[in-house]
Amino acid sequence: MTSDASPQPIQSTKAAVESLAAVLGGALPESVASADDPAATLLHDAGVASIVSGRLRGAGSGVGNDGLCRWLYDAFQSNLPELQLVVLRFVPALAGVYMSRAVSRKPLAGFEAVLLALYAHAVAQRGAGEPETVTLPNMANPSVYHEAKVPAKTKATELEVVVLSPALEPHGTIRATRRARIVGAVLELYHSRLALMPLSSKMDFCEFCVGWTGKHSKLDDKPRVAAAASEPNTAATEEKWKRVPLPWELFQPAMRIVAHCLLGPTYSDELKTQAARAAECLYWRAAETMDTRALLLSRSVVRLSQMAEEPIPEPSFSGGIENMAELEAMRADILSTKN
Amino acid sequence: MAAAAESDNGSEVSPTAAATRGSAVVASPVKAKAKARALELETSASAASASESSEAKVDDGNIQEAESSLREGLSLNYEEARALLGRLEYQRGNVEAALRVFDGIDLQAAIQRFQPSLSEKPPSKRSNKLRSDSSNSGSQHAASLVLEAIYLKSMSLHKLGKAMEAARQCRSVLDAVESIFQRGIPDVMVEQKLQETVSKSVELLPELWKQAGAYQEALVSYRRALLSQWNLDDDCCTRIQKRFAVFLLYGGVEASPPSLASQTEGSYVPKNNLEEAILLLMILLKKWYLGKTYWDPSVMEHLTFALSLCGQTSVLANHLEEVLPGIYPRTERWYSLALCNYVASHNEAALNLLRKLLNKNESPGDIMALLLAAKLCSSDCSLASEGVEYARRAATNAESSDGHLKSAALHYLGSCLAKKSRIASSDHQRSLLQAEALKSLNEAISLDRHNPDLIFDMGIEYAEQRNMHAALKCAKEFIDATGGSVSKGWRLLSMVLSAQQRYSEAEVVTDAALDETTKWEQGPLLRIRAKLKVAQSLPMEAVEAYRTLLALVQAQRKAYGTVKNVTEDDDKVSEFEVWQGLANMYASLSYWRDAEICLQKAKALKAYSATTLYAEGYMREAREQTQDALAAYFNAVSTELEHAPSKVSIGALLSKQGPKYLPVARSFLSDALRLEPTNRMAWFYLGKVHKHDGRLADAADCFQAASMLDESDPIESFRSL
Repeated sequence: MTSDASPQPIQSTKAAVESLAAVLGGALPESVASADDPAATLLHDAGVASIVSGRLRGAGSGVGNDGLCRWLYDAFQSNLPELQLVVLRFVPALAGVYMSRAVSRKPLAGFEAVLLALYAHAVAQRGAGEPETVTLPNMANPSVYHEAKVPAKTKATELEVVVLSPALEPHGTIRATRRARIVGAVLELYHSRLALMPLSSKMDFCEFCVGWTGKHSKLDDKPRVAAAASEPNTAATEEKWKRVPLPWELFQPAMRIVAHCLLGPTYSDELKTQAARAAECLYWRAAETMDTRALLLSRSVVRLSQMAEEPIPEPSFSGGIENMAELEAMRADILSTKN
Repeated sequence: MAAAAESDNGSEVSPTAAATRGSAVVASPVKAKAKARALELETSASAASASESSEAKVDDGNIQEAESSLREGLSLNYEEARALLGRLEYQRGNVEAALRVFDGIDLQAAIQRFQPSLSEKPPSKRSNKLRSDSSNSGSQHAASLVLEAIYLKSMSLHKLGKAMEAARQCRSVLDAVESIFQRGIPDVMVEQKLQETVSKSVELLPELWKQAGAYQEALVSYRRALLSQWNLDDDCCTRIQKRFAVFLLYGGVEASPPSLASQTEGSYVPKNNLEEAILLLMILLKKWYLGKTYWDPSVMEHLTFALSLCGQTSVLANHLEEVLPGIYPRTERWYSLALCNYVASHNEAALNLLRKLLNKNESPGDIMALLLAAKLCSSDCSLASEGVEYARRAATNAESSDGHLKSAALHYLGSCLAKKSRIASSDHQRSLLQAEALKSLNEAISLDRHNPDLIFDMGIEYAEQRNMHAALKCAKEFIDATGGSVSKGWRLLSMVLSAQQRYSEAEVVTDAALDETTKWEQGPLLRIRAKLKVAQSLPMEAVEAYRTLLALVQAQRKAYGTVKNVTEDDDKVSEFEVWQGLANMYASLSYWRDAEICLQKAKALKAYSATTLYAEGYMREAREQTQDALAAYFNAVSTELEHAPSKVSIGALLSKQGPKYLPVARSFLSDALRLEPTNRMAWFYLGKVHKHDGRLADAADCFQAASMLDESDPIESFRSL
């Protein structure tokens, strides 16, 4: 990223808001500048979100001298956790637009700088060269949640350790063959903060997922509840997001995020509808190449989206209403006569 | 507060009286007793009105219970009365009214009253059942009443959308229960009603935290629910375990692992969300196998999600196999198992399952199964014919459903036909199959222009058939469609260019590809570069290129240790290949000594290799040691039955031995051509054989073929991609 534009790094959320206002050319809503907690407002304010994502989606965004990308980069490098969250909030738009345009091999140094900064953070967080592993449980070994008879002498069965996400190598530039891995790792980072992300950010992600699969047309003949919902983003409907290669390293984190939107603790039907659509698109994309691993993963999510959730049980009043009421009436009677 | 509840009911109490009582509620605790009396009166009034019809049915047990509880607690106190009233309101659906009544209950005070009577006795006295039973039942009843009231209060708040407050109330129920029963809830001594309230609250709490957005609290309360002794029944426990697993899988919250005091040796301790979720899901399945709980299809789907995330589909397959019959239709189970086996690279098992599934008595038209079977067969020449059959069926069945599926079916049809053409027994049959393969690939592309895999396979097929112009177009399209992100696309392009003898362009492509590839994965590209240098007769640069490659390969070997890394072997160059390549190069320059050294190195890495033996034969032949050369070639053929270059060389050598060897030579050469129809040396020597035998027209045909192929030989076989 060119470093001649604004040399001083961002050191406080206040400075961040000011420089964002400068970047957006005064388009920042009043409410943000005067807010008590500017970082939280930046994260949750719908107005800011739509302006910033609008810019990110706009034509010509993400080039080397894009001020907004520079701001995102600086804000993330400030190492203030609340500002980093604000940057992560825009990962869907960032990754979405970037992947779609990168296929056409346009210069996108601005996007790449931000993504690389996020990636470097992910590498540092995990520790260089360490894969993310999962030790598979085995019913023969007891655990906190269940008991098992372990033969007294022989040691418990060996557990299998499998790789969930391979080791991350540090990268200074985005090479085409590593693009999916880098963006995938950034999505993993986003995934780890999903609970803190606002609804609109997740909506964005599901929308881009649909675009990436190149399957929008397939579901077009079905009733499009979700499409109507995303109408306000006019930029999105103008630029058709290009189909993107979805190797496992990108498919897996994307599917995890979609699964969260669909099955996680959300109470937004709008998001669930959009996520269900994304899951279905991902499934058809996997079916197209019979990518069995992706097929199994997405099929389970699609099936789960069609299953009803079990409700929380209601209190039961054993003995029937009348009976209880009588009992209570008797008690009260006894009491009132006693005094 | 209580008054408002009454007026909601449209009851008989006058508004003025209600107002005075309402203010009394917030007054000092001293007045509480008097107030309670008033309330109790009310309770009797409303309750009586609700139960007029069935008054006659009161049974003796109830009265006795009520009486005994009154005697035990001396009197129904303020809290208990409110609890009763509130419950009535809740039952009638007046949630807000109920809430107002419950609001006046002071839980702390109530707990303090219950505590001593329930937990004072040390465990040693527990054997004295009679005593404890009699002393407990009364206070338990009262405790049950108050705790239920708080639970109902929490439910009311939940229904009014105040999740956070509801969660706090619910938690206070559990806190109270814990302080009353400090040693966990005993199995036998607890009244049913109390147990029910406890179970319901335990189940409700995490859901409330979740709704309130307090995810860490939710996590803590799930663990508290499952790890403390609440004496939950199986169904309740199952529901909590399932919801917890779902929350861990999709909650988007990083859970710290459960800290454990009670760790026994050899016990499994989950370290992260995914592990904990998988553990819970496996426990749920096991419970079901043991008949302890009902079948829930979502458990298997969640487990599928979790295990396919980490690629452990063979474990998943075991679980699918354990599911008792009658849950899944057998065809569906076979399909799922086939998917699992395919991911785990148990292709044969997968294919056998699909064969059963696609049997005419099961579901022969299942399109997804047909596609999977066709894809599976397209990777193996000997299965290609079977694959053609599946793909044809899939294409016919996909007619109605969807363009993309039909395109996939035609894609696999093309691939299977192409594979089949490789083992065709005659030229005629081969060219028929090849034409058909191209036709169906073209049709597939017309249905789905943007599928890069399809474009790539098409490019390979064109290249195999030596239509380099079309292959070049496909290779470029593939790179455009993938944004240059797939290494094999670059390799195809540079190999096609090399086949067109456009070496410098091929080098430019290779360099561009190297730019887009990280150091660690540059192996195959560096190998191509070295071979390009050799092809351009630039031995010094070739040696340099091989040197870089060797450094990379050795670094990789060190990094991964001596144990072979099985997972990504496709894209790795082995050290053996490097020495072999160098040996070939030195041999072609007649640097016999250097070639020998390289060959020794190669041999040390891989003792019996057709390529090494072939190279040895080549060197002997060049030094006119014909017998040794022949022996080496025969050894090569016996190590690898289908080693075409050795067969060509044997044919060539024999054809020089005199007329009586010509038929043998001819059969070796024909055999080589069957394996590699585009081997130009084979055509050339076959032409010579024909010429010696006096079949001049045939000879001319062969020479013509050889000369045409001369301009379309790539530096590596396209099949290596």
